[in-house]
Amino acid sequence: MGGYGDVQLLRDDGLRLDGRKVDEMREVKVEAGVLPAADGSAWVKHGLNVAVCAVYGPMEAHPRKIQRQDRAVIDVRYNMAPFSTSDRIRPGFNRRSREISKVTAEALESVVLVERYPRSKIRVEIEILAAEAGTRCVGITAAAVALADAGIPMRDLIVGVASGKIEDTVVLDLDKAEDNYGQADLPMGILPTTGEIAFLQMDGDLSVEEYNTCMEYNMKAAKEIHELMVDALKRRYVEKNGGEA
Amino acid sequence: MVELVPSLLRQELTSLAEKDERIDGRGRWESRDIELETNCLYNAEGSAKVTWGGTIIYAGVKFEMRTPWPDRPTQGSLMCGAELRPVAGRKYEPGPPSPQSIELGRVVDRGIRESGCIDMDALCIIPGEKVLGIMIDIHVLSDKGNIFDACALGAIAALRTAIVPAERFDIGEDYPLAVSMTPTMCSFTRVGGRYVLDANEEEELGGDERIHITLGDEGHLHSLQKGLKGTFTPAEFDEILGVAQQRCAELAELVNSKEE
Repeated sequence: MGGYGDVQLLRDDGLRLDGRKVDEMREVKVEAGVLPAADGSAWVKHGLNVAVCAVYGPMEAHPRKIQRQDRAVIDVRYNMAPFSTSDRIRPGFNRRSREISKVTAEALESVVLVERYPRSKIRVEIEILAAEAGTRCVGITAAAVALADAGIPMRDLIVGVASGKIEDTVVLDLDKAEDNYGQADLPMGILPTTGEIAFLQMDGDLSVEEYNTCMEYNMKAAKEIHELMVDALKRRYVEKNGGEA
Repeated sequence: MVELVPSLLRQELTSLAEKDERIDGRGRWESRDIELETNCLYNAEGSAKVTWGGTIIYAGVKFEMRTPWPDRPTQGSLMCGAELRPVAGRKYEPGPPSPQSIELGRVVDRGIRESGCIDMDALCIIPGEKVLGIMIDIHVLSDKGNIFDACALGAIAALRTAIVPAERFDIGEDYPLAVSMTPTMCSFTRVGGRYVLDANEEEELGGDERIHITLGDEGHLHSLQKGLKGTFTPAEFDEILGVAQQRCAELAELVNSKEE
């Protein structure tokens, strides 16, 4: 959170700069099965963010030291394309992408039935093609759809959503300006059916009341995005197998 | 992939070649369907998505303000790189850029650079101090064969629709980048003993050497590359060059049709 309240982010009519209400999400679109080379794949557009995810596996886990005798390991790579931000990013991993990859993998391991595939590996490749704040959440949403598209059993989908605080007001789904100049950001990965949380990060400054409002907004948004994810998977199923959704 | 698969596949491809057939039913000089989409990436100053059969790539153009090379104080620069990340297919592994991805980026780079379609002097802002650098990054998302042609097509299409973000650099209003030509690439792979256009994944796996030809507007050659083990005769090259002349013109037309 880089801001100190010197940039106006709420208009006089109480709406945000892009015209959204405080509890309104950016537009979300989801497609499943977009990459022919992958075992499962997904494309998610969330506002101006675009994430594509490919899933490969379950496959043999190597190097052998990463193998687990009782379960599959989930090998996640979150990567931002060089052209995804306003200043070009040098290709390759950095500390930020490594951390996001790690916590994303742990979130996905909490929903995938990893014990069904001992000693194997499931590769999850998240590529951010366009970034406008909130890419880790969009990546998680895309990964969940891609895993389902690959036919990998999971106990629930997982939805990436975020709320935060701008000008002392809690808002759902920060855009780039709000992320840069706002006061807090609370991204979560939510299991939409049970309401459990598998991914959590936060930075900034929130009171307990504000945190509770963020949580309420995130839960509401997760349900909305979940419907879009299920729709995308049904469309994909029909496309692949014929019949009706 | 087990060695057994390519050797069985090789036999199959050879017997098909004897009947002048291909594994997916195409004619020898027939390409798969191509979809080209431009201006499809927010944040990139020029962008393109190419869906070439099952192969999918994105290309994005970014600009940077930099100091010129001492020996070329009035010239900007162009760099084209390709990433073959693990997302592109089961056979790709994480790690530093592979020789394959470096070859890919460099062959595409040469075709664009050597065509002279970018006037490097026009990228000079203050001689000796400030020039524009153009960076084309190619991202392969799904490799189902012939990524070279898809990447070359995406790169030139992204370049031809690029807008120089002059306002961001405080050098006036944004303006479209001047690109004077549309170089395009045609690749041929030896499959079952003879060359075919636009090999798919199986044909690459069970095939031999490949030849990449980049042609400019007048049908002039701007970049050639032979990859993988194998040899060819001058007569074979004459034949595929003839096919490339026709095919590259069609591809250039496709790129030009995306500009308003």
